[in-house]
Amino acid sequence: MSPARPTSTIAELRASIADKRTTHPRLHEHSPRVTTMSRRPPRGEYIETDTGNKVARKATLVGTQNIMLGGKTVIQPEVMIRGDLVRSVQSASAASSSGPPANNTAVSIGRYCFLSRASCLRPSGRLYKGAFTYMPLRMGDHVFVGHGSVVQAASVGSHVHIGARVVVGELAIIKDYVRVLDDSIIPPNMVIPSFSIVAGQPARVIGEVPEGGHEAFELRDLYKTVGNNPHPVPT
Amino acid sequence: MATPASTSANSSSKRHSILPPVSQAGPKPPVQFSSSITIADSALLTGSHTILAGSESVIHPRARLDSSGGRITIGRRCIVHERSIVGGNAATVTLSPSRGSKTSDTLLSPLPSSAGVTLADYVLVDVGAVIEAGDTVVGEGTTVGVGARVCAGAVVGKHCTLTPHTVVAAGDVVPDFTVIYSKGLRRRDLRGVPELRNKGQARQIEVLRRMIPSNPGKFSS
Repeated sequence: MSPARPTSTIAELRASIADKRTTHPRLHEHSPRVTTMSRRPPRGEYIETDTGNKVARKATLVGTQNIMLGGKTVIQPEVMIRGDLVRSVQSASAASSSGPPANNTAVSIGRYCFLSRASCLRPSGRLYKGAFTYMPLRMGDHVFVGHGSVVQAASVGSHVHIGARVVVGELAIIKDYVRVLDDSIIPPNMVIPSFSIVAGQPARVIGEVPEGGHEAFELRDLYKTVGNNPHPVPT
Repeated sequence: MATPASTSANSSSKRHSILPPVSQAGPKPPVQFSSSITIADSALLTGSHTILAGSESVIHPRARLDSSGGRITIGRRCIVHERSIVGGNAATVTLSPSRGSKTSDTLLSPLPSSAGVTLADYVLVDVGAVIEAGDTVVGEGTTVGVGARVCAGAVVGKHCTLTPHTVVAAGDVVPDFTVIYSKGLRRRDLRGVPELRNKGQARQIEVLRRMIPSNPGKFSS
């Protein structure tokens, strides 16, 4: 395990998903053990993993083996992440170096990300050398994704705030410290430079993050306010 | 082995007090799938009219096809993405004739008999898009963008592009090769690349067929 980036969460998430499968109220009825002789504490709305990820039981994660969570990430209910759409054509550099199958990560998410209710993350697809392939979606740390937004970007930097009902087009690149306002539609292949404020349909850069406005992107406090025993929202 | 049996008996008495499973609420619609389609296990099919899907079409997980208003016809090589809703505006159910004759007209009429939805070949319905029922037609090679809405009775022409969050009003007719932006601005698509786009979609389908575990047997009764 690299000390720089804790990515040990796949197995952890798998375990939690397996736990979800057996106890998911939508897939199966409540197990009778809950009423009879359960020694486990009552189940909360979230699954909290050892690295601090809080994954809602009602989130739809497809292809969990290809989803990497950096830790302390919140996934709210009804979020959908398409981890099954993996890269099908290996890039030249990866193909030459790989003896064992190269990493198949479809969606990788950094630390302290917050995926609001009903948002959707999916890798974007494109034609590469005449063959169709999905490109992995990489997301940095402290990324907030608003309610009902659909993110199909190639990469999202760190400290990015994406508002509600935003559509991030295929293969868009969002750099660090970007604020995307509500209802924006970021066209495909758009590259948004750092410290931009972006809005509109289609989205354009409408301003710059002011000097000293970087603290607003911190999501550590928001992380504490959700989960099975949340802290109250600081006022 | 005695304990699981007793617990299951115990749970079956419990089961009725808990929410019914979401996936199979309502009747199972009759389906006519081509043998080469790819439909994810967690796609949601509801309604009482027939759902047809042409060869090599792909239906993503959590896509919802609701044929309660009328028949849903999906052409060849279409892609219906997750969370999109095709059909299923409850208001149009009253317009449709009785569904007693549905078994006979499945073979005879090529057009929807009641307020249904027709997607022609090479249609792409993106994430969270809604296509309402009510003789709605989406023409060949049209892309319905993320979260777009095609209201009841609208006829969208061939090779159109509806950008994300576009709304096509009820009964509206969109000519071929139109691009609609989400603020209602329309433009003609003069690129002249429909063949290339369809080819790209065919490539995408080839990839998706390998990635999405298909289970058409689950939906056919």
